[in-house]
Amino acid sequence: MPRKINREVTMPPPEPWQQDFFRALTMPLRGASRRATELNPVAEGHSAEFFAIAGKWIKPGASLSEAERLELYHRQYWYRVLDSLAEDFPVLRRMAGDELFWELIEQYLLGRPSRSFTLRHLGEEFAGFLEQSPLLDERQRTWFRALAAIEYAQMESFEALQCALPTPGDLEKKMIGLQEHLRLITIPVPAHLCYEWKNFSMAEHSPAEKVCIAVWRHASGRSERMCVEPDEAEFLIGFRNGVFLKEFFETLPEPHPEPEKLSQWFAAWQSRGWLGLPGEAGQQLLDEAFEWQGKHAMSSQAMPMC
Amino acid sequence: MADSRFTNGKTLGTGIGLRVPHYEHILREKPAVDWFEIISENYMVAGGRPLAVLDAIMDQYQVVMHGVGLYPGNSDGLDMDHLRRLKKLVKRTDTPWISDHLCWGSVDGSVSHDLLPLPFTFEVARKTAANLKIAQDFLEIPLAMENVSSYAEFAMDEMTEWQFLAEVCELADVGILLDVNNIYVSSVNHDFDPMEYVNFIPSERVAQIHIAGHSRYERFIIDTHDHPVIDPVWHLYARAMERCGPTATLLEWDASIPSFDEVWQEAKKSEQWRKQNATENQPGGDDAAA
Repeated sequence: MPRKINREVTMPPPEPWQQDFFRALTMPLRGASRRATELNPVAEGHSAEFFAIAGKWIKPGASLSEAERLELYHRQYWYRVLDSLAEDFPVLRRMAGDELFWELIEQYLLGRPSRSFTLRHLGEEFAGFLEQSPLLDERQRTWFRALAAIEYAQMESFEALQCALPTPGDLEKKMIGLQEHLRLITIPVPAHLCYEWKNFSMAEHSPAEKVCIAVWRHASGRSERMCVEPDEAEFLIGFRNGVFLKEFFETLPEPHPEPEKLSQWFAAWQSRGWLGLPGEAGQQLLDEAFEWQGKHAMSSQAMPMC
Repeated sequence: MADSRFTNGKTLGTGIGLRVPHYEHILREKPAVDWFEIISENYMVAGGRPLAVLDAIMDQYQVVMHGVGLYPGNSDGLDMDHLRRLKKLVKRTDTPWISDHLCWGSVDGSVSHDLLPLPFTFEVARKTAANLKIAQDFLEIPLAMENVSSYAEFAMDEMTEWQFLAEVCELADVGILLDVNNIYVSSVNHDFDPMEYVNFIPSERVAQIHIAGHSRYERFIIDTHDHPVIDPVWHLYARAMERCGPTATLLEWDASIPSFDEVWQEAKKSEQWRKQNATENQPGGDDAAA
């Protein structure tokens, strides 16, 4: 669901100068600004509307025209959102190749400016966008959408709440649920394999098959993903809203897995920190030895703009 | 010296911005830094590593919250959910004051993630001050507004930037986070005398000062926070300290971030400028003397 800004108090609509300025910011990169990698402004390539907005509201300076001044903000906007989104989908970028990837994220952001206070949420609807993108063929749409869903789940997992981990004693007495940082996604192809591939050509040899991927965060804060068998995933989902174990196992619908298998699953979930006590705050540990990079390092939310 | 109502009565010396590449060094070495400034939005999360690091840092250090997403100049009002997130973090950090930028940044819920310039008009000043009053009342903590670097001026401006900053802060009765690097950057981009800016600011409202480096291009300057502080900015800092007296000072370094020690050495240069100032201007600042 797209986020909505909550103003509660009825406020007037934005002033015309803000609406125009923002519209200019979000206009497509064109001409020199599209090819540039630095901020030197050139007015070449902009639409008549961009020039009209600059001329209407901006005062020319001693060394920059009104359009060049507006162009500085235009470039900064685009460089910031593009770089930030690119940082959050590194595997998809490798699979798509740079040219196609940048085209995709630019098209996505043109139709969907940020709706959140943080750049981390920029990719919220990227998977859905890829599923519809005319820039992709059917095979790309399927795989890229699945991969984007995994990569965004990692971002969600990174910042999700940590509930208390259940002790052996808790398992008998308390309601047991899943940690909010555990994300279970079902995708039509084994896109988690892309993490190990050098390029997308490997997908040609991989069969389409429905897979369930669990993305979660270690107690140290770093995230991981793994493939989960469909029957195990179905069981896990049963814990999503919290259950009392005794009651849960007494009312299992038939047929259900052998008790030994259930026991193995349960032990594995517990060892990976997937289970939690709903409503009880947990302690997030710090793994200082881990080399934090990319989204682990929160870099996409810390683009300098102060 | 700032009126204590803008600093919650807290006196802080030299600090630096808390940045990811320095986490490990800070947690391991526990360097003797007076305080750290955090970007509020980086810690507005439900859980995970950001809050774990923050909690560990707070065991040892005072932190002060500095936001980039309040956007008090938004003419369609404040985002109340954002204020709630801020307030939750205020309670967690025990920050003595909270700062953000005198700017706007979003329209109809779409966010620029930039600090966009405001037209310097009396109407915009009044509307922005009204938003700031709401924010300060809601947050129940002193709020300080930072002057931003800018690359454009509006044709409808009715006053200078420094007059606008003072007007808004006095109307809203909030403090000022005076960024002397931003003053310098804007002075080059808009061709004004930066010292006139520093001399005009109501010194009793200055709760905090920012220093930083920037990138100079052929025809303009961009506030990139990726270089050491240049001498003209230090001179503005010295004058600000002369006027404001001892004021919490923070170095920002956000891109091409060098080692912790290099950043900290750069920040500590401010102490030399303060000492020099104190020696030359006994017993106090020019406002005190006046």
